[in-house]
Amino acid sequence: MTDDDDAERDAVAGTRLARRWRALDRGWQALCLGLAIVFVHLVIYPV
Amino acid sequence: MTILDDLRPYVPGLALLGGGALFATLLGGAVSGLQPLVVAVAAGVVAANTVGTPAAAEPGVALHKLALETGIVLLGAAIAIEELAAAGPTVLGLVVVAVAGGLLLSEAVARGLFRIGGTTPSLLAAGASVCGVSAVVAVGRVLEARGAALTFAAATVLLFDAVTLVAFPLAGEWLGLTARQFGVWAGVSMFSTGPVAAAGFAHSTEAGQWATVTKLARNSLLGGVAVAYSVAYAARSATDPEARELWAEFPKFLLGFLLVAAIANGGLLSSAAIDSITAVSDGLFLVAFVGLGLSIRVRELRSVGLAPVGVVLVHLLVVSALALVAVRTLL
Repeated sequence: MTDDDDAERDAVAGTRLARRWRALDRGWQALCLGLAIVFVHLVIYPV
Repeated sequence: MTILDDLRPYVPGLALLGGGALFATLLGGAVSGLQPLVVAVAAGVVAANTVGTPAAAEPGVALHKLALETGIVLLGAAIAIEELAAAGPTVLGLVVVAVAGGLLLSEAVARGLFRIGGTTPSLLAAGASVCGVSAVVAVGRVLEARGAALTFAAATVLLFDAVTLVAFPLAGEWLGLTARQFGVWAGVSMFSTGPVAAAGFAHSTEAGQWATVTKLARNSLLGGVAVAYSVAYAARSATDPEARELWAEFPKFLLGFLLVAAIANGGLLSSAAIDSITAVSDGLFLVAFVGLGLSIRVRELRSVGLAPVGVVLVHLLVVSALALVAVRTLL
């Protein structure tokens, strides 16, 4: 596998992620972002 | 690398929002009694109506609504469910009565008093009663309203968003309302979610939380209102089941708010985590309110017609007066 192949695969993955993200309703985006932030806090500040 | 490419168009706008938020924090910190959230909205309005928003910044600035909704999801961490449950039935009752009564009042005033025909009365009623511009757009889609009617109704709601954003905090202070009373009053009476939260936080943090929670309860009725309108106008497609339509119009971030509130009240978050999440939520609100200010264009608001203004003004005066009596008596 060449560097170009890797770059192309990364590019497709990035684009796909962005496309999927943009396809989400804004309410779902907010829910996902909010839960991600809470999850990060659960890891950083354990009870 | 491609993800960075995807993010690049949003960088100028996010930098503008972040710069505005930083300015609001610094100015709010330097002048006692000045709320950073109020400065954020004011800075946005001044910038948008003097130098304007650069075209390159538009995609990033448009993310302010996502920032607002994410901030509301995170606000769940600061909400005490016990307190919410205690006042919940009263607030929920107020919300249902205000939305149903407000819809009927606006329809009657628009059609009977101001002789407005077509779908415009329904768009104005939905915008004023449920959740501002998003309700205008949702009901407009269900009723297949014309573009001009949509623009007109949305501009009218935006005009009142701008006016109430300034008037409500002043009135709340003058009336000597408690934080909870003011929050619920603003949440029941004002229109769009952003200005409701901004007005609430301009009063106090507690009022901001109550205003947002009350407004969320109102927003959750949007699906039901859209379906009720589609049935009333008999424009509903036979292949589109009601439950699907209800779900399509339901604000999904509300689920996130409830989920985060459940996580926080379930003891899964340490107090340090709750403090930090609340700080992130405050930061997102600041960014969102700069964007809210940037979206207020005074020139566009001037073009709103007198009849829609009359309808919404009657709605606002009647609903806010009755809601004021209710919050003073019940809360």
